[in-house]
Amino acid sequence: MDFAARIAALLDPDILRFLGGGLGLTLVVALGTIALSLIGGTALALVRLSPWRPASLAAAAYVETIRSLPSFLVLIYVYFATYRARLDVGTVAAVILGLTVYHSAKIAEVVRGGIQSIDRGQTEAARALGLGFMQAMASVVLPQAYRRMLPPLVSELVLCIKNTSIGSIVGLNELLRRGTIVYQQYFNPIEVLTLIALIYWGLCFSLSRVAARLEGSVVQRAERGALLRAPAAVEL
Amino acid sequence: MSSPGISQNLSFLLEGFKVTIQLTALCTALSLPLGALVGLARAAPIKLLRVAGTAYVEFLRNIPPLILLFFFFFGLPSTGVTIDDFECGVLALTLYTSAFVAEIVRAGIAAVERGQVDAVRSLGFGYFGALRYVVLPQALAMALPAMGNVIVGIVKNTALVASIGVTDLMHQGEVLESHTFATFSTFTTVALLYLALIVPMSSAVAVLDRRRMRKVR
Repeated sequence: MDFAARIAALLDPDILRFLGGGLGLTLVVALGTIALSLIGGTALALVRLSPWRPASLAAAAYVETIRSLPSFLVLIYVYFATYRARLDVGTVAAVILGLTVYHSAKIAEVVRGGIQSIDRGQTEAARALGLGFMQAMASVVLPQAYRRMLPPLVSELVLCIKNTSIGSIVGLNELLRRGTIVYQQYFNPIEVLTLIALIYWGLCFSLSRVAARLEGSVVQRAERGALLRAPAAVEL
Repeated sequence: MSSPGISQNLSFLLEGFKVTIQLTALCTALSLPLGALVGLARAAPIKLLRVAGTAYVEFLRNIPPLILLFFFFFGLPSTGVTIDDFECGVLALTLYTSAFVAEIVRAGIAAVERGQVDAVRSLGFGYFGALRYVVLPQALAMALPAMGNVIVGIVKNTALVASIGVTDLMHQGEVLESHTFATFSTFTTVALLYLALIVPMSSAVAVLDRRRMRKVR
């Protein structure tokens, strides 16, 4: 059988359903992580920008440390920490927790950038009207900042989807792990991994296009200068 | 734990640290030129080269690097080709990283004003002459901080090779943890070693970036 025929043989409904379940779990874990990280990241960014120095330094230290570590290490650390602490939360929750610890730090930087892209005059005006720091953030700055943050948040979702694959190493039954189960049964790793890669690719590529398109529309609305001056971050 | 135990465990981790550094150095040395070539192809005046370069970049950067690793480690042997786990790690991470390098090089080239190219070409330079003497020096200078971030990314991604049995820092940490059950002290030490490698790099990137921004303004 040639390669194309062997790929076609993989399109057995049972196998596809099995892999589809894995894709579902991949999506649940990625979206759950990003939702939780948005909350965690916003809290971290607000604390980091808050006028209270010790808290601000602690938040900065957390963000800079976690961002500088391999996501694999953060995930394994949290996974084993919950295990050794006899916190029996199950693999799915442990992986979401581990990835959230990592992606909160990443998203904190996105939120901070979003907040700082809003003209300082707005915060000052809100403060002059008698709003506290948190009130000014919640009702004036954040609603505008979130709209500008949409493209980088979608990019972060792409990174998160790629990171969920690491969950397969600790036994999370997501797409890649289900793929390894299939090829261990049928001894066809090249075909299965190609198919799995194409599924991840379709997902990540279309989301990247969405992020790029959003970026275009956001940049048109926001000041181009401010965004151009932002450091060109590369995330592998 | 007695103190000789600690020093033994530390040297066990440091063995892995050495492998992590070797892997990073090799992947950097290979993925920068490979990525630069693909980036040049993406900016080339020949459509076929551009399409091929774009396909390469868009495919590789939108799949998890772990799949590439598994592909070479578990997939390749079934075709009769066997390479050892370290070589699988170098191959997978180099391919993955080169896609990001290509994108940076392409963006750098695109950032050089079109008028400059027209001016040099009108002075009688050929395509490669203009590229070599006018476009690339500026493009690479602009891309320098981003390249620093790429190397940071390589260090972080090398941890994945532990999953195919390469005895890098991450792997040694996992082995040590499973023998000693000292989860917190082991993984904290591993984290500190990664930080020792990455923090100086990202600080250097931040300095370069600030210097570049001052020029842009």
